[in-house]
Amino acid sequence: MICAGIDGGSRAIKIVIFDARSGQVLAAGCRDQGVDHNALSTRLFHDLLGELSLSRQDVRRIVATGYTRNSIDLADTSITEITCHATGVHRLRPEARTIVEIGGQDSKLLRLDGNGTVRDFAMNDRCAAGTGRFLEVVAAKLETSLDQLGVLASRSRNPAHISSTCVVFAETEIIGLLAAGALPEDIIAGVQAAIAQRVGAMAGRNIDPPLVFTGGVAMVPGMSGALEAVLGHPVAIAPAPQMTGALGAAILAARQG
Amino acid sequence: MNLAPARIGLDQWDHRYRELIAAGLREPFYGGPLRRHLLDGDLRLRSLRFDNSPAALRLWNLLLSEEDRLFEARRKGKVIIATMKDLGSVPILAFSIPNTIAFYPDGAWWVPCIMEQSTCDLKIADERGIDESFCPVRAMLGAFVSGEHFPRPDLITCSVGATCDDFSAIAQRLESLGWPIFWWEIPARRCPEAGEDEVELPGGFLAPGPQVRHVAAELERVKGAIESAAGQKLEAAMLCEGIRKANRVRRLLSELRRLVFTAATCPLPALELLIAEMLAIHYCSDRNETIEVYEDLLCEVRRRVGMGQGVLDDGTARVFWVNPVADLRAMNLLEECGGRLCGTEFLFCHALDEIPENLPPMEALARMALADPMVGPAEDRARRICREARELGAEAIVISRIPGASHCATEGSMIRRIASAALDVPVLEIEVPPISDAISAALRNRLEALVETVHQRRNA
Repeated sequence: MICAGIDGGSRAIKIVIFDARSGQVLAAGCRDQGVDHNALSTRLFHDLLGELSLSRQDVRRIVATGYTRNSIDLADTSITEITCHATGVHRLRPEARTIVEIGGQDSKLLRLDGNGTVRDFAMNDRCAAGTGRFLEVVAAKLETSLDQLGVLASRSRNPAHISSTCVVFAETEIIGLLAAGALPEDIIAGVQAAIAQRVGAMAGRNIDPPLVFTGGVAMVPGMSGALEAVLGHPVAIAPAPQMTGALGAAILAARQG
Repeated sequence: MNLAPARIGLDQWDHRYRELIAAGLREPFYGGPLRRHLLDGDLRLRSLRFDNSPAALRLWNLLLSEEDRLFEARRKGKVIIATMKDLGSVPILAFSIPNTIAFYPDGAWWVPCIMEQSTCDLKIADERGIDESFCPVRAMLGAFVSGEHFPRPDLITCSVGATCDDFSAIAQRLESLGWPIFWWEIPARRCPEAGEDEVELPGGFLAPGPQVRHVAAELERVKGAIESAAGQKLEAAMLCEGIRKANRVRRLLSELRRLVFTAATCPLPALELLIAEMLAIHYCSDRNETIEVYEDLLCEVRRRVGMGQGVLDDGTARVFWVNPVADLRAMNLLEECGGRLCGTEFLFCHALDEIPENLPPMEALARMALADPMVGPAEDRARRICREARELGAEAIVISRIPGASHCATEGSMIRRIASAALDVPVLEIEVPPISDAISAALRNRLEALVETVHQRRNA
């Protein structure tokens, strides 16, 4: 039985085609998000099916997740990212008890039981200061790419202190830091620390290890280290962290059968 | 005419109302179709879903006709007492005197929601330096200045001290604009120290005797001010009768809540329960009608429970809700996401507890006033929430913050931390502004995730 999961995130659409019998991912793909979520999802889905020489009729069930989940016509049903990320990470890292997920427009912290059931969760709800959008703004301001942020941050010897809890104000703060002669690598390291501190505030005092870091921001070098420094525990990055929501959605589609 | 219980929109209520009238519905003097309130500017009604019973219609009509009732009371020469910040004690004093009514100007905090910010209340507050960094209750300042929502009261009382610093600042600004306020002080409740006598309060709290005596003395001053405004003495026997009537209201509400929270199938929507609970604070300017509204609701809920009928599917996630919402739509949203109320703490649980009738009446009122969750430590409030959530079998807790409200800026996080440690249930904090449409998708996402989590845990 072949099922699919579609994660319509704020920055990217991710799709996983999953064979429930073998438990194997048959295909996975990611495209930048755009205006027409539905058309973009459909195109990516059919591209992946084409790679597998399959048709829509071969896919038993499709679950959508992510912010655009309710506008994806392909999907048979939708499930929130909380449940899907938990399911996806549990499949990949069954030992995980805490998941940190940072995506383009929000961040989440999930606590799991040993069987992968979500015990509790928290989401940032104030602004983009704890999200990938913060890193995008910084990269643009420093005229570099997201890929290079980690490389630059690794050179930091004196991370800047970013006090603003709002991306817009933080951007102003960064301009001030640059004017004061702060090095770009110190600013980036400071921004990574600020994002990690926001996650730390969500986590509170009790964190159950092992921790797994997922979502698109987990691919940014240096972020897991920033989280480790704040949370006080080793942080493992999930395999293909951007895809765990779609993987979870596909697994849940298979369970719904 | 008893249809199956359902949650319906305003258009469906038009049809339903015609059916009820055709079937011989008898209404009180403030009755009528819900739509008439929309025509009066209550635009939010278009976005809400309501219970379809005549009892719910009566509840809504009582709530939404309060402005008319207050202006009518002014025309009839009744004494009108505005009881600010105090939640549930001064109205009892006022209603104990014939021809005297109390209302709660703070209730104007819902005007920006109900009227979808089509009035100038917030603009007026802005212009007078009370901007959006304050709690939405700042709409009250605009309501006084505009004079559109209630007449000028004969007396304005306001409790200060441990209540709410936002509110105190707004009330001070109001006084500076020419509305004299009778201030009374309520101290921050604390645990008795060694050597102090302990006094038991409603809700199971303890307070030192000197604090209770201080509040009783303050309420005695308030009583004097009300007597002066009313031109009548409030004798102890009259106040005892007022307390008995208040307790009747509270017992009716207590039974309503018990049935709604414990019935296997949810017999009343969250929105109507929120409105019903609010009535207990101040009776919506009409204590007798509040009693009648509760009796009707209770009758309907008992009927539904007896028939095993409800407004939601069986198996919905049992959610304990903390704090009132600035946007009423949020209560609908909970149910649309698969949740139901199994308990509430809307910041005035002390106004739902029975007032001791075996004590001197002023002391009894003082004990009740000191049990106000807003004047006690957040830990006390959290402990009561945990106790009730456990007793009521809550599967999740939602803590709703009010943007700009100083009394819940950090209290929500504290309650979350304590509840998370004490109860093995997910706890979700959300922030609900007066019009939440812009963040509706995010709110829905969080509530859906909470409900999914509850179902996962059930199946684990």
